[in-house]
Order: sequence, then C-alpha cells, then structure tokens
Amino acid sequence: MDSALIPEGAKRCAFPKFMIGMAVVGAVLLWGVYAMFLCWFKGLNQTNMNDYYGFALWIWADLAVIAIGGGAFFTGLLKYIFKIDELKNIINFAVIIGFICYSSALLILAIDIGQPLRGWFIFWHANVHSMLTEVAFCLSCYFAVLTIEFIPNILENRQLNKVPFFHHLAHNMHGVMAIFAATGAFLSFFHQGSLGGVAGVMFGRPFAVREGLLIWPWTFFLFTWSAAAFGPCFTLLVTKITEAITGKKLVGDKTIHLLAKIAGWMITTYMVAKIIDTIYWATVTAPSLGFSLSHFYTNNAFYGYWILIAEILVCGVLPGILLIMKSTRENPTTRLVAIILATIGVCLNRWVMVLQIMAVPVMSFDTWALYIPSWQEVATTILPVAYGIMLIAVAYRYLPVFPQELELNKSAKAAE
Amino acid sequence: MIQHENAHKFGMVVDLDKCTGCGSCMVSCMAENNVPFKEDETRKKDSITWMRVYKLTNGKPFPETEVVYMPRPCQHCSGLGDHGHSPCVSVCPATATDYGYDTGIVSQIYTRCFGCRYCMGACPYHARYFNWWDPKWPEGQENYLSPNVSPRMRGVVEKCSFCYHRYQLAREKGYMEEREIEENEYQTACTTACPAGAITFGDLNNPEHEVTKIVKPDPHPDPMNKNVVGKSRNPKVFRLLERLGTNTKVYYMSEREWVRKAGDNYLDGEWDKRKNHHGSSSDHG
Amino acid sequence: MKIDRRSFLGLGLGAAAGIAVSPVGVKLTDDSSIWTQNWPWTPVPEDGEITYDPSVCSLCPGSCGISVRKIKGRPVKIEGADGYPVNNGGACLHGIAGLQYLYDPSRVKTPMRKNGNRFEAISWEEAISIVAGKLADIRTDGAPETLGVITGSAAGSMPALFKRFLDAFGSPNAYEMPSLEGNLQLTAATLHGAGNTIGFDLENSDFVLSFGAGIIEGWGSPVACFKANASRKERHAKLYQIEPRLSNTAAGADKWIPINPGTEADLALGLCAVLLSKNLFTQGNFTGGFQKFTAVIQKEYSPTRVEASTGIPAADIEALAVAFAKAKAPVAVPGKGRGDHGQNLKEFAAVQTLNALAGRLNQEGGAFVMAQPEYLSFPEAAMDEIAEAGAGKEKIAGSVNKLIEDINGSDKPLLNALFVHNANPCYTLKNTQRVKDAFKKVPFVVSFSSFMDETAMEADVILPASTFLERTEDVPAGAGLPKSVIGLATPQVDPVFNTKNPGDALIQVAQAMGGTIAESFEWETYDECLEAVAADIWDSLSEEGSVVVAEGVPEGTPAVDVSYLAANPTSVEMKGEGDFTLVAIDNMRLTGTIPAASPFAIKTVSDKVLSGTQTVVEINPASAKGLKDGGEAIIATEQGEAKVKVNLNEGIMPGVIGMVKGLGHTFDNPYVAGKGVNVNDLIGPVIEPGSGLDAAFGIKATLKKA
Ligand SMILES: Nc1nc2c(c(=O)[nH]1)N[C@H]1C(S)=C(S)[C@@H](COP(=O)(O)OP(=O)(O)OC[C@H]3O[C@@H](n4cnc5c(=O)[nH]c(N)nc54)[C@H](O)[C@@H]3O)O[C@H]1N2
Ligand SMILES: Nc1nc2c(c(=O)[nH]1)N[C@H]1C(S)=C(S)[C@@H](COP(=O)(O)OP(=O)(O)OC[C@H]3O[C@@H](n4cnc5c(=O)[nH]c(N)nc54)[C@H](O)[C@@H]3O)O[C@H]1N2
Ligand code: SF4
Ligand code: SF4
Ligand code: SF4
Ligand code: SF4
Ligand code: SF4
Repeated sequence: MDSALIPEGAKRCAFPKFMIGMAVVGAVLLWGVYAMFLCWFKGLNQTNMNDYYGFALWIWADLAVIAIGGGAFFTGLLKYIFKIDELKNIINFAVIIGFICYSSALLILAIDIGQPLRGWFIFWHANVHSMLTEVAFCLSCYFAVLTIEFIPNILENRQLNKVPFFHHLAHNMHGVMAIFAATGAFLSFFHQGSLGGVAGVMFGRPFAVREGLLIWPWTFFLFTWSAAAFGPCFTLLVTKITEAITGKKLVGDKTIHLLAKIAGWMITTYMVAKIIDTIYWATVTAPSLGFSLSHFYTNNAFYGYWILIAEILVCGVLPGILLIMKSTRENPTTRLVAIILATIGVCLNRWVMVLQIMAVPVMSFDTWALYIPSWQEVATTILPVAYGIMLIAVAYRYLPVFPQELELNKSAKAAE
Repeated sequence: MIQHENAHKFGMVVDLDKCTGCGSCMVSCMAENNVPFKEDETRKKDSITWMRVYKLTNGKPFPETEVVYMPRPCQHCSGLGDHGHSPCVSVCPATATDYGYDTGIVSQIYTRCFGCRYCMGACPYHARYFNWWDPKWPEGQENYLSPNVSPRMRGVVEKCSFCYHRYQLAREKGYMEEREIEENEYQTACTTACPAGAITFGDLNNPEHEVTKIVKPDPHPDPMNKNVVGKSRNPKVFRLLERLGTNTKVYYMSEREWVRKAGDNYLDGEWDKRKNHHGSSSDHG
Repeated sequence: MKIDRRSFLGLGLGAAAGIAVSPVGVKLTDDSSIWTQNWPWTPVPEDGEITYDPSVCSLCPGSCGISVRKIKGRPVKIEGADGYPVNNGGACLHGIAGLQYLYDPSRVKTPMRKNGNRFEAISWEEAISIVAGKLADIRTDGAPETLGVITGSAAGSMPALFKRFLDAFGSPNAYEMPSLEGNLQLTAATLHGAGNTIGFDLENSDFVLSFGAGIIEGWGSPVACFKANASRKERHAKLYQIEPRLSNTAAGADKWIPINPGTEADLALGLCAVLLSKNLFTQGNFTGGFQKFTAVIQKEYSPTRVEASTGIPAADIEALAVAFAKAKAPVAVPGKGRGDHGQNLKEFAAVQTLNALAGRLNQEGGAFVMAQPEYLSFPEAAMDEIAEAGAGKEKIAGSVNKLIEDINGSDKPLLNALFVHNANPCYTLKNTQRVKDAFKKVPFVVSFSSFMDETAMEADVILPASTFLERTEDVPAGAGLPKSVIGLATPQVDPVFNTKNPGDALIQVAQAMGGTIAESFEWETYDECLEAVAADIWDSLSEEGSVVVAEGVPEGTPAVDVSYLAANPTSVEMKGEGDFTLVAIDNMRLTGTIPAASPFAIKTVSDKVLSGTQTVVEINPASAKGLKDGGEAIIATEQGEAKVKVNLNEGIMPGVIGMVKGLGHTFDNPYVAGKGVNVNDLIGPVIEPGSGLDAAFGIKATLKKA
C-alpha cells in the first residue's frame, strides 16, 4: 500500500499491521495530549506539585531524556570531529533519538511552566547568572541543530529524494554537517553542563550544592560527562529494542562493539570522577554546612542509602566494567545488562539531582517532603515515550536510517 | 557589586521569647498584600503564606517539653559574601526576582515571572509560593483589595516583599518634603500588627535604628566562613541557616539555647564547640 | 536546478532574516504575554486617595481601637490604632481580618422569614410587622414574661436597650452568654459585693500565677494581655502557668506546672492553706467567718490532700505558695483558656481569695476591685399594667445554661418568644443538640444576627444586623482589664447589604407595637438614643473615640466575704466514663464568639489542629496505645462520638485529650464551616450548684483507632 515510500530493497511489515501498532501507541499519546491540555488550560493545579516540591516527575523526565539523548551529540562529535567513520552506521539513529529526546524536553518545559505564553521571557529578560538561562539558550539552539542534522535523513526518503532540489539539499547538508556537529557538540556540552549546574549552584540546598571551577560547580562537568557516557548506551539500547521488534539485525557488531567500548571507558572515567565528587561532598562540603551524610538518606520512607549504592555501584561502576571488558562487552547478554543498567543509572542520577533535592529537609525543624505524581503528570511524562516510539517507527519504515540494514539481512533473505 | 552611596539595608529581628504564635503577623500580611485563600488551606505545602509561623519543639518528653514559634517571612538573602546574589535571584532565568542594592530587598515581579519555579527550589526557607490556582475571592470580597499591591495571576511565584509598597509610599512622602524617611515611616505590616511587639524592623545600615542596635551586625566576613557576612555580635541573636552563606536580613533572638541551636544544622558535638567560640554561655531554659 | 553550498546558505539565512523581520510573530507573542498579565478574571483594585479612620473592634470582648485604611473611602485594611487606651497599636488576627466579615458568604443580606424549612426574603416593613404582631399576641394572651432575650454580653447600650424592651414589655427574662466579664462580676459579687468587677494589673506585676488563663490565647482583652505579657522580658517579671497542657501561654511562661484537669480550685485553696498555716498572709478586711474559713481550708486543702487531687507534689505546692507570697508584686489569675465557658465560681473565688490573702487587692501589679462603669442613663421605661404584672414574675433561670435545661425539662413552653442578639448559643453552649431542641420548643425566635449562623438557622424571623464596621455602637472594654474604657465604634462603610443597626431594628419593633412600649422608645434612631443616654461622656466619646472612665490603682482595701468558700462548696465532677479526659482548648487563631474565624484566620490554623475537614486531637505519646501520629481515631463520650485525627504531642499530660474549640461550624461558608467537629457536641454541661455556671471543663472519653 505504502510500498512506494519504503526504502528500496527493505522489507517492512504489512501496512495494516503497522497502522494497528501506531493506533495503539497513538492512543497512549492522545491520553498524554489530553493531560497536556488540562495542564495548559486549567493550570499546574492538575499536578501534585506543591511549594515544597516545585520540580516534579516530568522535570526528572526532562533531565533524563536530555541525558540519554546525549548519544546524539557524542556520537556526532566522534563521527564528524574525531572522524571515527565506523559510527556512520549508527549516527542517523543517534540523531533521531536525540531529536526525539530534545523535542520531548522542550515540550515538557512548555507544559511545566506556569505561564507558557511568557516562556520567551527567558530569552527576552535573560538573567546571565542563571543556569536555566544557559540551558534555555543552548537547548533551543541545539534542538535547531538536531533538526538540521535530521533533515538530510528525511530527504533521503525514496520519493523525496526523487525531487532534484531535495536530493541536492540533502547532499549539501551532509557536506556542511561537520560544522553543525561541532556546534551541536559545543552547545550540548554547555547545556548538559548547565543542567548539572542547575542543581550545583543551589547553595541553599546542601544536598545539591557543589564547589567547582570558575562559575561552574562540579555537577556541570559531571552532567556533561555522564550524558556523553550514558547517552550512547541508550542509543545502543534503543537499537537493540528496534532490532528485537523488527526481528532484523540493523547495525553491525563492529559498530556496536566500538560504541559500547567508548561508552564503557566514558562511564568508567565518569564514575571515578563521580565517586571523588561524592566523597568530597559527603566529607567536606556537606559537613561544613552542618550536615552529615546520614541526614540525606535516613528518617524517611523512600530515600535510603540504597539509592546511592544503586546509582553509583550497581548502575554505574558495574556497567562501566562490563563494557570495558572485551568478553562481557562482546557477549550480547552481558552487554544488554550493561546498557540497561547504565540507562537506569543515569536516570537515577537525574532523579537524585532533581527530586531528592526537593525532598531533603534543610531547616533543622523541617521534615522530609515526599511526593506522588498525579495521573496528569504520569500521562504527560509517558507522552514523549509514545511520541518517540511513533517517530522511530515512521522513520524506520520510510527512511534509510540504518545504512547496513540491507547488507546485514542479505543472508537471512537468501535463507528464506 | 553596585552599592549605592546611601544604600539602605532593611532587615528585621524577631524576639522569639516574645512571639506568642498568635498569627496576627500572618493575617496582617495577607490583608496588606492581597494574598488569596482557598476553601482548604490545611495542605500547608500549597498554602500561600508570605509570613509563616513555624512551631518548634525542643523534642524533650513531657513535662520537659518546650515550644517556640518562629515567624518566617522571606529572609531577603544577600547571598554569598553579601554580594546580592540571593539563592533565588541568582537562579531566576527571566530576572523576575531581583536584588535591590539600594534597599537590600528581594523583589518579585509577577508580570515577568513565567512560573518555572526554579527560585522555589533554590530557597531553603520555603519562602516562595506558587499560584497553583487562579486566585478567586468570594463575591464582593474583591472590595477590600488594596491597589498598592497588584493581585497575582495563576502560574506565577509570589513572596514577602518587606511590604515594598510601604517603602515606596514613605519614600515618596520624604521626597516631596525633601528629607530622608524616618525609622517609623517605613514599617512592615507584620511588624506593626504584632501585638507582642516581637518584631523590630529597620535599616541595618543605620546605627540609629533599633534593629541595628539589637543585631549589631558584623560588616566583616566571618573568619570561620568567608561567605558569611553580617553575623550578629549579639550572642542571643542568630540567623536561619546562617552557615549556608545565604546572609539573610531576618535575624532571630532568644535567651534559650535550644532555640538558637535550631536555627542551623550542626554535626554531633559541633554546637558546643561553636557556642563556646561564639562567647555565648549556656543557660538553663 | 542545482543548489551549491553558497546558495544553500544564502537561502537559509534569507529565510531566517525574513521571518525575523516580519512583525507578525513578535506582535502575537507579545500580545499573548500581555494578555496573561491582564487576565480579566484577575481583579484590578481601584486606586485613589488614602485615608485612615478610627473605630473600635467589637469582634471579641477585647474592644481594641482600630484604624481603618481606605482608598477613596473604600476600606482596604484594618490595623490596631496607636495610642488607643486598650491596645495602643497592634491588633489580633481576627480584628485585622475584620473586612472579610463584611463580604462573608454567610451574611444575612436581607430580612428573612422561615417558611417550613426554608428561609424567604422579606422586606423590613414586613419583618417588623410580623415581629410586632407576634409579640402583641403574647401580650394579649397575658403572658408577657414568656418573651426572653439572650445577648452576648451585659455591657453597653445594646444589651441595655434589649433589657429596656423587656421591661416595657413585661418580662424579667434577660440572659447573657457566659463570659469572662460575667464570671468576674459574679466573683466580685460573691466576695466584694454586687456592682463590682475585677481587673488584673498584669503589666505591673512581677509574678503572674495563672490558673490556666490563656493570657496569650484570648483571655480577657487579648491584645492588652499580649502586650503586658511581652513586656515581662524587659521587666524581668515571671509567669507561671498551671495547666494540663503546654498551651502557648505555658510555652511562653517561665514555668509550666501541669495539673490534673479541673483541679485548679483545689490548688488555689491549697496555696491559701499554706499562706494561712505559714502565717504568710496579710490581714485584710475579711468578713463572713474568717476563722471558719481558715479552719476549713487548712483541713480540706492541706498540701498532701491537694497533691492527691492535682497531681502536683506537696513540696512544690508549698514552695510555690512561698514564692508567690514573697514576690514583690504577685497576682493570681483565674479562668482557664479565655475564661468564659466551662468555668466554676469556686475556682474564681479561690484565686481571688489567694490574691486577697497575699495582700494584692488594689495594689499596683495586683488585682483591682472596681465598680462596674456607669456611663449610660436611660430615662425610666414606661410600663403599662401588663408590663407591671409580667415584670413582677420570677425569672425562669439564673443563667442561660439553666434556661436551656429548664425549657427542655418542661412540657409546656416556658418561653413563647425569644430574641437573640450578638450570640450563637446553638454553637457555643455545650451539647448543641440540647440547645437546638430548646430553641425548637420556643414558638417564635427572632435573631438579630449578621450571619446565617447555627442560631440564626433556628430562628423564625431574622432581622439582619449591620456588622461592627457598618454601625455605631458604644464598646465598653472590661474583661479583666485594670481600667474601664468606653470606645465608640462608628460606621466605616455604608451597609453592604439590606441590614440595620440592631438598635434601629429594635426601636422600630417597639414603635410598631405602640402604647407604652413605643413610648419607652421615643428615639428616631439608635444613634440618637446613644447620644442621649451616653450624654455624660458623649462629647469626649464622639471627639476622642474613647473615654477612660476609671484608671489606676483603686482606693482602699475592699472587703472580702469568705463565707462562700468557708462553706467549702463542692467541686464539679466530670461526667461520663473512659480512660481519657477530654478537655476543650482555646486557640488564638480560632474563635468561639464571632460567627466563626475568618478565611484568613482559618488559613493560619496549624495542620496539627485541622487537617482537611478533620479535627486533630492532641494526646501524649505515652497514652497513645497503638494510635499513630496523624492516624484516624474515634473519640467517644456519653454525648456522642466523632472521627478525628491524632497528634502525638509531648506537651500534654498523659491521659488527657486536647480538642480545639471553634471548629465544626455547620453553616454555609465553605471557607470556614464544614471543618472538623464542634467540641461542644461531645461535652455536656454540668451546672455548678449555687452559681448556675456551666462548669464542664471536660468530660471522660474513650479514643479508639478508626
Ligand atoms: N523614557 C521614559 N522613562 C520613564 C517613563 C516614561 O514615560 N518614559 N515613565 C516614568 C514613569 S511615569 C514611571 S512611573 C517610572 C516607572 O519606574 P519605577 O519607578 O521603577 O516603577 P516600577 O518599575 O513600576 O516599579 C519599581 C519597583 O517596584 C517593584 N514593585 C512593583 N510592584 C511591587 C509589589 O507589589 N511588591 C514589591 N515588592 N515590589 C513591587 C518592582 O519590582 C520594581 O522593582 O518610569 C519613568 N521612566
Ligand atoms: N495615586 C496615584 N498617583 C500617581 C500615580 C499613581 O499610580 N497613583 N502615578 C504617578 C505616576 S507613575 C505618574 S507618571 C504621574 C502622572 O501624572 P502626570 O504627571 O499628571 O501625567 P499625565 O497624566 O500624563 O498628565 C500630564 C498632562 O500634561 C499634558 N501635556 C502633555 N504634553 C505636554 C506639554 O508639552 N506641555 C504641557 N504643558 N502639557 C503637556 C497632558 O496633556 C496631560 O494633561 O502620576 C503619578 N501619580
Ligand atoms: S504577630 Fe507577633 S506574636 Fe503573633 S505570631 Fe506574629 S510575631 Fe509572633
Ligand atoms: S528567603 Fe528565599 S525567597 Fe527570600 S531571598 Fe532568600 S532565597 Fe530568596
Ligand atoms: S518562577 Fe518566576 S521568579 Fe521564579 S525563577 Fe522562574 S521566572 Fe523567576
Ligand atoms: S514584611 Fe510585609 S510582605 Fe513580608 S511578611 Fe511582613 S507583612 Fe508580609
Ligand atoms: S482582640 Fe478582640 S477586639 Fe481586639 S482586635 Fe482582636 S477581635 Fe478585635
């Protein structure tokens, strides 16, 4: 039915089956859209946020998707700047995932603010001291860059590519892509960092505050590093999921192993820094403000030391080791375990740096503030997931996302 | 740092031994500043109270239990090193909250705030409140709203302004009469309402003002923590979370040691060391 | 067409520039944000010239001077008036929130008549003629004594005007709600002779021994008490608070002495006994059998006996008595909480006798025995034969609580008509169902309320009153103050609704009745009446806004008649069964007098007192027995039961449940009513023999997990 649009030689499921799948995910998406409109028209009273808990579930989702979307800028950096050509096999997909993550982040921000129609004040009345100003500028610019990076892939659609203008446009855009990749990497470096800075500069919150370098707290660098480290893991994870769903091998093992190896070393070095940071914070920064480590992990129903151990050891050090060791890296099962743990790890880190901050009491007579999101928050948080699935499905179906697809599935075809 | 020649530095000191927890300051603030109310205000975490009176206990069992009330307006933090980068001001991306170098007052511009709530997260005193709902008054009750403070709209943050409009009115009057304003001409609504006279408000830069006489702020950075400026030289006076370097301009005073200790966080055993360093003595409470 | 790199970049930049230059996007964006700053549903208060006008707050017996800030004549804020002889600046939260009452959703906006179960609006003419007609029938039936009146207090021209109406009508049945001032007058009458009252010179005392008096919780004239209390710090004066729970007063005191609930009189007499036995008392003007008194007190209230009832060690009692006697200017203060409801004469008399023994009567910083202010002079009321006949009849009961009991206990209607002014007995008196039942037995109830409160809902006709901000009235300050001040409340705004000064409504009813009743009310308006009857002080009152009629230490040492205590009156026992004693707590942020706390005041109430729509009760963790902090429980007494939440609190004696007064209103105002339970539904009255006071400070109760 839509075969004319499908990349030449590629095998895709029947159109009705595709549409049924889309309809199911689309229903979830509509649920999220409904919740989104509720938040816009009735206000943020639709959430369970309160004055103690001004950041909630979706802000965590926002930071988390930006972190795991970091595969795009980091892979782009490696491919276009460090010229690691092998990564051309996964760069398109990394860009799409990045695009989804960043567009989702922007959407979440548009729902999150109390006065969406004034959102542009952040640019117009910009306060240069605010990390959030830095985030807003870099995030928007980087989203524009991602869009530009995504366009050539779209134009490579079989029908669009027949239009000479689009064909040439795509070709030329590929030519200048290194400039955008460099810009993107730079912007990304800053906004990932600024997002880390968002927490680190809160000197009124001893759980969050970090000392640092020049105007940036250590969390600035840790966030950038962790996004670069864990983002590729998420790219690998989504690739794996896509492969599982389509029943095809889409990216060659060589590429996968290479990216996994890079991620492994990034994670390991990041964890060294993170552990040093944690120890310094726990033994120097927090005590100097009158807080012992136990203050942050006891006396409440949810946040225990388990979250620290889970984030740092189980979902940090462990996947790092699994990915740097050749045997476990090249074993599909242990590699899968590693990339799942790594993805959870970075999400946990963002959770801790957004939500646990709000929960920890600061004044000696304050109490822990725990928080349960409303269904509207859950729906709007799932909304980007549904949107991401749909976009990946459409892209996979109609665009030559995976350059190795045909080659890798030749033998399978022959066997049929 | 921009510092005006004759800059004021408004602040207050609350005598916790006098505060009765009566709530007059809270209501005076609400009435003065057009603070809205809703049907259920028992969820204190979404109840807008620019002035909130906390109840603290010494944690001891009956009958040794003691209680103290601690009124908490916005602390009008001057930030690390007293440079005007309050925790909230420095994070607001849209400059919707600002530090007045001529007054020391942290302002809030409702029409510019776009409701990102970053400032709320940054404020450890929970002094900032978000308008989760459209403020609504029962029919007729808009009639008592004051034109000196604009009613807020849904989706923006609000907080204690040290009754800035009262300063504006006093300043205008002084300007018209070509003179400086007097101590009693600018007093906040909570100060004047307090039946116990527990609150003293004035200019911490003016040695004649009562608040300065009580607090005796030290203009030099604390040798133990260079971020801390303006520490009181009165051993009975303390600030909330002073160690964070927020440099609040709301001071508290109490004869009771456990109350002073509750103002900040201390590691085990640390208080006794510091207390002795500070020169204050332990007293039975 | 071939696009090279240059033309591609050129095209891109051109498009970007084109969009940026076009004003459409910018304009729309800007407009939309400006729109959010001017949402039509966000009010824009009108600006104009600022003025300040003085008046007096009569929301509680405190009678504080207030200053009303107005913008072009529109009141926007109430503040305490500087220089006013009661409060001198500062006001309590209820007074400051006073403007909210003007526009309260539960205001009675126009006269009402009950038709079946519903109220219907009627005109003032119709309302007045209905009331006058019903009353005329009662007189025609020859039973004028079956008209009763309940007023909030006995002081000032309004109660006097109602009393005058009864005189002219022919009924002795005027009643007042329990109040601290009433209790002090009764105490003074018992000890020092009728026509007196007692004031406490707290601001000059160096040792205040408070028998549970909520000195910073609404006792007496609240703001004056707050100020006197706050000045303790500079004066190095002490406050000892005797109370079963750590109230705010106890928390602010130098010493908190927990005591078994309801045994304050025992302690006061125990202290008297120590003074007597250690010969630490001052010989005064004691009458009524001082020898007998001494013997009885020393025998019945020896420290060991008092230890047994109060739970305070005998040695502490002796030490306390000595400390009290040795202080320079000590004063003992009676009246648990606000000192109005649930009080007993025995305690008041015992505490005042302690003052007398310590030589503290009419001494600076002591207790003043003062004549009740006489500043009103009404001309003799005209009375016809019916009136003469009725006025000679016996009053049904000695107190409003007894009246309610008697009405319920009688098969025939004791009252055919009842006026209620400035009182909400169907909420404030104990066992509210009993009060409502009594009201149902009165065929014709007229309410002069400003609000559709619990009592107004029981009325047959409502003649809606203008609030204190909309009417003129004299406001005498009493309630334990060591001076007498008369203030003048003046209208700060035209009546917001179709209401009248209740004085005007009453005058119109009187005039509609004709005859001698009309003759007794020959004023055009209430304002004219007030000016005439307060003529002695009118000039100063109307010019200054207040007149101080008595001030300073009264002359002489008053006589103290100890015969009441020498007879060793029995203490009131608590009713019911259960492991716990439920006591009602007075909380400054709630109120029992005005219809209910304002929305602002309710907003300040702790979530440890009210949680959602549930009352939170305090118990000591030691008596929790499986109850969790914040958990739900059922509290049950012989009067009823209620679902509450539990607050585990070290600041209350084990075995005692503290439950706040002022919640559980049932009228139609979502901001203040429908929240929590009315503690008066759980506690029934216990009438003290002799005084007629409802002395129930608490009741036995059980508390079980819900
Ligand atoms: N070129 C040019 N310049 C002009 C004018 C012009 O027409 N052309 N107009 C002049 C005129 S008319 C004016 S009025 C001035 C206006 O200039 P300003 O006098 O600066 O007046 P605003 O900016 O309105 O408010 C001053 C401060 O008050 C604070 N503020 C406002 N409302 C509140 C409140 O409710 N609480 C607290 N805490 N703070 C509040 C704001 O945060 C702000 O910091 O500009 C003058 N300057
Ligand atoms: N109660 C209250 N009072 C306020 C304010 C408030 O908010 N509340 N706001 C204050 C503020 S911010 C301001 S700016 C002022 C505004 O008050 P004004 O200074 O009175 O300003 P306008 O209302 O603009 O009136 C100026 C007059 O000058 C005239 N005019 C214009 N150009 C010229 C000219 O070239 N020559 C002459 N001769 N006349 C000219 C205009 O037609 C107009 O009649 O009010 C202040 N007063
Ligand atoms: S008004 Fe004064 S006494 Fe009352 S709570 Fe506020 S500060 Fe304390
Ligand atoms: S108290 Fe909070 S809101 Fe006020 S200045 Fe400090 S950080 Fe800002
Ligand atoms: S909520 Fe408003 S004031 Fe606070 S940081 Fe955001 S824009 Fe600034
Ligand atoms: S200073 Fe003014 S705004 Fe701040 S708490 Fe007091 S009354 Fe409210
Ligand atoms: S204490 Fe009483 S009289 Fe005084 S302001 Fe409060 S309610 Fe009014």
